Amino acid sequence: MALDRAYAEQLLEDMVRTESLSGEEQAVAALIVERMKALGYDSAEVDGAGNAVGHLGSGPRRLVLLGHMDTVPGEVPIRREGDLLYGRGSVDAKGPLATFIAAASLAGAAPDWTITVVGVVEEEAASSKGARFVAPLWRPEACVIGEPSGHDAVTLGYKGRLVCEYRYAQGTSHSAGPLPSAGQIGVAFVNAAQAAADELNVGQKRVFDQISPNLLSIHSENDGLEESVTLTISWRVPLWFERESWEAGLRAVASGLDEEEGSHELRFYGSEVAYKGTKNNPLVKAFLAAIRSQELKPRFKVKTGTADLNILGPVWECPILAYGPGDSSLDHTPNEHISLDEYWSGVQILREAVQRLTQG
Amino acid sequence: MNGICPECAAEVELPGDATSGEIVTCGDCGVDLELTSVKPVKLETAPEEEEDWGE
Repeated sequence: MALDRAYAEQLLEDMVRTESLSGEEQAVAALIVERMKALGYDSAEVDGAGNAVGHLGSGPRRLVLLGHMDTVPGEVPIRREGDLLYGRGSVDAKGPLATFIAAASLAGAAPDWTITVVGVVEEEAASSKGARFVAPLWRPEACVIGEPSGHDAVTLGYKGRLVCEYRYAQGTSHSAGPLPSAGQIGVAFVNAAQAAADELNVGQKRVFDQISPNLLSIHSENDGLEESVTLTISWRVPLWFERESWEAGLRAVASGLDEEEGSHELRFYGSEVAYKGTKNNPLVKAFLAAIRSQELKPRFKVKTGTADLNILGPVWECPILAYGPGDSSLDHTPNEHISLDEYWSGVQILREAVQRLTQG
Repeated sequence: MNGICPECAAEVELPGDATSGEIVTCGDCGVDLELTSVKPVKLETAPEEEEDWGE
């Protein structure tokens, strides 16, 4: 089946209309596999993790185009308003994934190459199950992650992440007494963590290069015998971040705050390292030329969030970037939408980039 | 193969195997340049890294 703009737009709209919260991607995976087969992919199937995987060609050199199928919750009424398609996932990240499916079909198989297009599950969940499942399966020569960069930009890197849960408890004391309350201890921990980040951030001008704290929750309670505070902090962390020394520093802070009758628990989890790919490689060159071929001026981006690039970049160690039409400031918002003109431009740019990379 | 820096007009030496899209740094003014054409050689200011939030 020849793919044209109308088919590409219908593909995206059908994907957006198929709900796919994290862990509930079966229906959209089946839809994607069906469309890959209709478009002439050499094979397409749902893998053991629930990912939709299609291949074009069977050569020893592999290009992986990988985007996520799942969305965050929140119903955004699906509608077209002029050039705009509204709906949950239209930008994050069914727009980029539909771009991959369409562009790979248009680019076609190349001698010596296998083009693998993957719609992965659970990127929006902390598990990143889909990306972790495929990480050991292949050793691609290049990889593109599907996230909205804008059709004229490529994203070179993402910050990492670390989360901690801190709990402090002590015997209840009279509020008129000299001991700080558990709540005050919790606030002192948050402030100490902020000060530690501020100290390390000195001289770092870009947010991408800073440790960025976010207090996710804080709760104190008192049952008459014991008072306690529980809090969760998430840090978006830069390339230079040293997790072990950071954790050791905060463990020392927590111990220093313990009163004689109090004790704390501290747990770190959700760690993702920051990752940034290089600029001078065949993949970036192909994109720069492809973007310029559409008479656009290419842009580079680095992002303060995290994506599956954080997981696959360090494992595959190949040229890697993120690409996709759409405005990432609309991610997770009730106003999520994508320009269909930009979407189709993204399809053309990616087709050109894939052909430049695999066909010279 | 040499090109001219569009920022400071210095001569910029390019790798012999440079291809379109190559990023090089001007030795005089330090700006990153993109080789946008090999024949004839054309250098343009390379895209700067913009910060963006989200995924």
